[in-house]
Amino acid sequence: MSVPMSRDNIVLRSLAQIGECGLFLLRMLAAVPRSLRHYRETLRQIWFVGAMSLIIIMVCGLFVGMVLGLQLYDVLSIFGGTSATGTVVAIAIYRELGPVVTALLFAGRAGTSVTAEIGLMRATDQIAAMEMMAVDPVAYVAVPRFIAGVIAMPLLSCVFCALGIFGGHLVGVTWLGIDNGTFWSNMTATVEVVKDVINGVLWKSVVFGTVVSLIAVFQGYTTPPTSEGVAYATTRTVVASSIAILALDFVLTAFLM
Amino acid sequence: MSQRPSYAVGTGLFIVLGFAALGYLATQTTSVANTSRGPSYTVEAHFANIGQLKERAPVKVAGVRVGQVRSITLEPGKETADVKLAIDQRYGQIPDDSVATIFTSGLLGDQYVGIQYGSSKKVLADGGTLALTRPAQQLEEMLGKFFGAGGAADNLAGSYRVKARFSNIGALSVGAPVKMAGVAIGSVQTVKADPVKLDAEVTLAIDKKYSQIPDDSAAAVFTSGLIGTQYVAIQPGGSPDMLKDGDELVLTQSAMQIEDLIGKFLVSGSSSSSGDKKDADGGKH
Repeated sequence: MSVPMSRDNIVLRSLAQIGECGLFLLRMLAAVPRSLRHYRETLRQIWFVGAMSLIIIMVCGLFVGMVLGLQLYDVLSIFGGTSATGTVVAIAIYRELGPVVTALLFAGRAGTSVTAEIGLMRATDQIAAMEMMAVDPVAYVAVPRFIAGVIAMPLLSCVFCALGIFGGHLVGVTWLGIDNGTFWSNMTATVEVVKDVINGVLWKSVVFGTVVSLIAVFQGYTTPPTSEGVAYATTRTVVASSIAILALDFVLTAFLM
Repeated sequence: MSQRPSYAVGTGLFIVLGFAALGYLATQTTSVANTSRGPSYTVEAHFANIGQLKERAPVKVAGVRVGQVRSITLEPGKETADVKLAIDQRYGQIPDDSVATIFTSGLLGDQYVGIQYGSSKKVLADGGTLALTRPAQQLEEMLGKFFGAGGAADNLAGSYRVKARFSNIGALSVGAPVKMAGVAIGSVQTVKADPVKLDAEVTLAIDKKYSQIPDDSAAAVFTSGLIGTQYVAIQPGGSPDMLKDGDELVLTQSAMQIEDLIGKFLVSGSSSSSGDKKDADGGKH
């Protein structure tokens, strides 16, 4: 199988990819009971895609919160409403920025490495070797990484949001001098647990985690076994994940509102 | 278990950190943080208007939070809202003649219930009622009281068409609602400028079922909220005679222009405006 370069049937190719992706998801779900034996592998993958992504998530969350605090203070001071900075920072981060930016970072940081790893396993015939040893590669290679992504993404998203609030507080209260009590009391008066934290942060990030992990594992698993194919699959993981995240974000927002 | 893999501790830390962050978000930055814990007792208060008061809004004494609004209900057939307040047990010394008022924190802030202590020796018990309440202040009422409601007046005829003259209708447009006690009872039918009297003549079409409006009622152009659309509010008078088709509402209050208001506000300290104020007060009564 060579890298499909033809541009004439892009619609058909995209449809075929989506179809194969869906079938692959069913295959993985069917393999979940068998992969429970490999829980240690799942744990290792949570470490790899989750814990190793913490630094970038925390730094980005901090800066996103800080820049939001700065911009909102600037705009809200026109209306004399700087006391609403905390509220708007929290709502913007919980509902949109937290899950979406985390998912984009997650696709870039963890999704690509999963694709490249599985793609190289494919290219160096490790997957074929597993099949010969009667080890199901879907249960041993694909499913642990998929589950790890689904578990790690909401946790990362929560860390991102917490750091974002901290960043907003840092700029708004410590630097620009909004009253500390006003900042928190306005935030706690407006932000709702179910609407903002559960629906906003948790559900969105679970869906994004599922989609990004599925795309990453699928692209790696079905990559053409060449170095060019691995490079191509890695790129496609990022592109497809980003489009899927942003499109799904709109759909989810419309449903969860 | 021979040896623990090196990543296990890190993974555990990561998961704990993630859940800790979630717990922090859910409990410290949301309205859950406002939920009082510990024992509380319930006090009832009836308000004529609760404005934008929401459940879980704080209840404050001297600006310090002592409890929260537990529920807001409107019993069918009653005109006042029943608000149940959950007050922390340790603030159990509220005199039974205290006054409950709905305040707004800042110009655009959320509303809360403020309790001002009375002088009674008797303490409000669990399930008791705060008899003295002050409703949420509506911006128009406040401004109206502050600046006084001036009035021009006219009467015109029509088969339940009533006319009113305003020196300024603001952004009132044809089709805008006519409200009494906040309920729409009709709509604005025509708006035209009078070339002779140099004011605006507005025809209001009022629903026939509201035929019991006293003929000394006043019409005012109000704005819904700070930046909402404008409507005509009818404030019933006390006359035994009812409005008929073609009557004219004599007492009218023009739309408030924010520039005028601010202008009056800024000069109200000077001697020249004290006369204005007296007029305004006279006009109101």
